[in-house]
Amino acid sequence: MPLIETKYFGTMSFEHESVFDFPCGLPAFEEEKRFVFIEIAEYAPLVFLQSLTRQSLCFLALPVLSVDPDYRLELSSEDRAALELEGQPECGGGILALALLSLHDGFPATANLMAPVVVNVRTRRALQAIRMDRRYSHQHPLRRPGIAPVCEGVC
Amino acid sequence: MLRRRAGESLLIGDDIEIELLELTSQGAKIGIRAPRETVVLRKELKIIREQNTHAARGLESGDLGKTLKEFSRNSSRISPRTDKHSES
Repeated sequence: MPLIETKYFGTMSFEHESVFDFPCGLPAFEEEKRFVFIEIAEYAPLVFLQSLTRQSLCFLALPVLSVDPDYRLELSSEDRAALELEGQPECGGGILALALLSLHDGFPATANLMAPVVVNVRTRRALQAIRMDRRYSHQHPLRRPGIAPVCEGVC
Repeated sequence: MLRRRAGESLLIGDDIEIELLELTSQGAKIGIRAPRETVVLRKELKIIREQNTHAARGLESGDLGKTLKEFSRNSSRISPRTDKHSES
């Protein structure tokens, strides 16, 4: 099994099925085209998007439905074509939608619901889909640690 | 503010032309003619670039494990895995 140097967890082995291709990279990180999605049971449902080529680059993400159980995807026709999707996709059923988190000391924790990372699990292709509408914020506030969970038991 | 119909243009300075190509209920299709060195970006893209740069800083100090566990506890448990098990 191949090994990867990660930002947060040292050296890890990974399966090829955990690697996803971002043919266009992500905005501001256009050169980073392959990420390993790392899930660690004790931190679930957090997902770590570790760049395969840059150890220091690892995004933290949550499934959009964990952030907002009513979240609805709205992909542009260009993004749907790039992911080889017909019609407007929904979360689940082969589509993975993750909100990238901004999580720093001294800053309010936020999730980017305006531009979720959307993955076609069948083709292993992914992109960051910037919404055309203004329905969701790129700085959606996350509940702060220590506050009683609101959405426990949603699923 | 300017009012333009489909097919009409406006000029910014001497060498930037913006033409309203098509108007539909889905939005407007806009053509831009500008010097090669002029950067043309959707505003949302600039916002997302900045937000990604911010997000990429990640956690730099403190007890990473403790912070992550607190966050995961406060997030509803919806499995992100769809490759082997569909979401419930």
